[in-house]
Amino acid sequence: MNMNVVEASGLGKRYGGTWALRECTLAIPAGHVAALVGPNGAGKTTLLNLAVGLAEPSAGAVTVLGGRPAGSPAALDGIAFVAQDTPLYKNLSVADMLHVTRNLNRRFDQPYAQARLAELGIPLNRRAGKLSGGQQAQLALTLALARRPRLLLLDEPVAMLDPVARHDFMALMLTAAVDDGVSVLLSSHVLTELERVADYLILLSRGRVQVAGEVDDLLASHRVLTGPAAEVDRYAGRPVVHAGRAEVQAHLLVQATADDPVPPGWTARTASLEELALAYLRQPGAAALHGPGRDRGTEKSEVTR
Amino acid sequence: MTALTVPARPEEDDTRLRPVPWRRMAGVTWRQHRYALLGVVTLLGAVAVYLWIAGLQLHRAYAAAIACHPARSPACQDLVNTFNGMGTFLANGSILQALPALIGAFVGAPVLARELETGTYRYAWTQGFGRWRWTLGKLVPLAVAVTAATAAFGALLSWYYQPYLATPGHQALGLSQTSAFNGGLFDLREVAFPAWTLAAFAIGALAGMLIRRVVPAIVATLAVYAGLAVTAGLFLREHYLTPLLTTNLTVPGSAWILSQWWTKGGTTLSQSTIQQVMDPVMQRLLPAVPPDQVHLYKLPTILNAEQYLTQHGYTYWTRYQPGSRFWPFQWIEGGWLLALSALLIAATIWLVRRRAT
Amino acid sequence: MYSDQHLRVSDAERKAASGQLAEHFAAGRLDQAEFDDRVGRAISAKTRGDLRGLFADLSETGAPTVPELPRGGGGSPGDGPRGPGSPIEFRLDAASGVPTYLQLVHQVEHALRLGYLTLGDQLPKVRDVVASLAINPNTVLKAYKELETKGLTAGRPGQGTFIQATLSQVALPELAGLRKALLGWLTAADGAGLDEDGMVALFTSALRDFHERRSGSRTRGGAASSETEGVA
Repeated sequence: MNMNVVEASGLGKRYGGTWALRECTLAIPAGHVAALVGPNGAGKTTLLNLAVGLAEPSAGAVTVLGGRPAGSPAALDGIAFVAQDTPLYKNLSVADMLHVTRNLNRRFDQPYAQARLAELGIPLNRRAGKLSGGQQAQLALTLALARRPRLLLLDEPVAMLDPVARHDFMALMLTAAVDDGVSVLLSSHVLTELERVADYLILLSRGRVQVAGEVDDLLASHRVLTGPAAEVDRYAGRPVVHAGRAEVQAHLLVQATADDPVPPGWTARTASLEELALAYLRQPGAAALHGPGRDRGTEKSEVTR
Repeated sequence: MTALTVPARPEEDDTRLRPVPWRRMAGVTWRQHRYALLGVVTLLGAVAVYLWIAGLQLHRAYAAAIACHPARSPACQDLVNTFNGMGTFLANGSILQALPALIGAFVGAPVLARELETGTYRYAWTQGFGRWRWTLGKLVPLAVAVTAATAAFGALLSWYYQPYLATPGHQALGLSQTSAFNGGLFDLREVAFPAWTLAAFAIGALAGMLIRRVVPAIVATLAVYAGLAVTAGLFLREHYLTPLLTTNLTVPGSAWILSQWWTKGGTTLSQSTIQQVMDPVMQRLLPAVPPDQVHLYKLPTILNAEQYLTQHGYTYWTRYQPGSRFWPFQWIEGGWLLALSALLIAATIWLVRRRAT
Repeated sequence: MYSDQHLRVSDAERKAASGQLAEHFAAGRLDQAEFDDRVGRAISAKTRGDLRGLFADLSETGAPTVPELPRGGGGSPGDGPRGPGSPIEFRLDAASGVPTYLQLVHQVEHALRLGYLTLGDQLPKVRDVVASLAINPNTVLKAYKELETKGLTAGRPGQGTFIQATLSQVALPELAGLRKALLGWLTAADGAGLDEDGMVALFTSALRDFHERRSGSRTRGGAASSETEGVA
């Protein structure tokens, strides 16, 4: 399947006088677990709300699952969304939540949902509000997955969970990706765990897309150069995303591949996803857009002083 | 690297997507609002039980009073007094006026306000059902349920108040009577009571969508409802049909008297003018009474005063709505309340469809 | 990965191991002295790791490496020797800096070297790895593909990924020679003034360099964690 699960062109959203999201152009291919990363207030929730039809764009357009308008019945049918803080009806029992979700959707895999809940040890007759935070998140995810969506959207799903709950949540989500070919787009402001989970990265900063592309491509096209701090200013090779300098030593994150020459006296190695993301986040002007259909050329950035 | 190979899922014909059937909302609405609905039924049920018991007593007393012969004997007067003594509930029945407001506000306002306040709309409006259909699928069954319950209750209220509704001849017996148009009684009847509840519900739904918080929405609903009810009762109701005019001095007790005034020779006379005319006449009838207190004695002799004035060329006009118009008025009021409710619910759904956040 | 390495063994398991050794002796893979030695060690073995070690250099056709030991990993625990699931289970060291897929590749290679995996063994199913480690499925696929490229595994459609080759086991005399050379190097490094951490750093950097030169052209964009030195 070669379709794009989310496509946005010039997408923007304004609340009052401020633009929460601006000139957002994306094409996320199917079959990936895509991470939407950015600091608080970067526009992640806005983007997800637009994709799921909870907000109307102020500029541009967004379509999902190969061209379906966001929020249309066709779109809602194929997408499942778990909003921040996993909204559930706190006064309803787990069984009631199953009933409600089943009746609000065309497709609902009741046996799957009950099996997963049994595995997780979530009793059917307990009120949703009485479950622990981790259990609530798992319940919301199970309900979403039982709808058999093609795309799963998650807004900071694990922000409030302890490490064990976080692991279990991710495991459930990823096994669904394997079993059913669900594409996933999840947002987070925590980078460390996304390296294991994501194979497509979108970096949002101050309402704009800074980085978008497959993780493998991004890691292959960036290098960390380590060398004497004194020579940093003289470096005139590949575009520098971010320079971190100490007294004697400096690290440069540059847009280069392993084949590009390294200046004498410097060493180069591959960046980690976290290093890459942090570098871009520290340099609001830099961008690396590697989505399908984009050309690989990116703007030169100034070396910071 | 290659993307995850997505296992082939048979493509559904998405262009001709059959929407989720409406009947599925029934279970959803019930599960989410069962406590509100049960609360309404309990409240109405409790009051109904009271009305049933009190009503049986009232009807018995009434039957005894009117069956008593001879009518003027002390024994029969006792029965009449017993009946009249039960009239406290009639006076306090205006408490029941609050019921449509409370029911409508507490059932209608939280439908949308609670979803928006707690954030669960982010779940409900991203399900396959679609958000405007979800809203409609909730508001209509709730409206129907609330209207049906209050219609039944209104019928019980009508039965309860039956003995008080003026019938010719009962006033002569001294029984407490009132016109069916009595402001505290009109909107408790079979058509008006459910209609007002429905209107409150619709106001609540729209308030919930606009205000987005449960408690403020309930308060706003009650306030708007109160304003509407007062306006309707004081200003609108009397104009549903053009009032009749009569110069008859005796107007049936079932009529709703809107205004009364004296004229002479085509000119309307103020009350003070009449008093000026009547005072010397009264002075003659009651010479022992000081002139400035004469008007206090008007009441017992009022019939005589009116007869006197009419014999002297004064005309007493009464503008009224006859008792026979009671049911048309009920249906007119019910009709515009229904139209208003439909409009408000349509506005709510339009808002839901248009914007969410 | 070696989750049951330190688990204690029962008498039944020791007996089974001895029986297996007897078969190898009958087949001619062990001589009398070795057979006696190993049976003695089998009888006094405390852990599963001990027992497995006895069969490290014994390849066989079709028989499982360690008889009647329940398999850990993707299958259900407590299965018999030919039960479903893989003999190994992956672990993840999130702080090591080594990319996940490489960690999986290394663990498979390590298992092959130590005999936890032999010909015909199945690698854990992608789904099971994802479920236990909570990592991206593509990462597992990437690791398995790498192993396939190296010729170590082969995928059977609908069934899974299976080991189809073993890593060349270095013979004991060669190992001894390498060890001696290494000790000589360590002595020289110590003489030059390097402490233990310095030795590790130098060795690791040279290892990466060697790895890079060997597999530089095969992987697109360079193997992960590769370092290149500029010409001084």
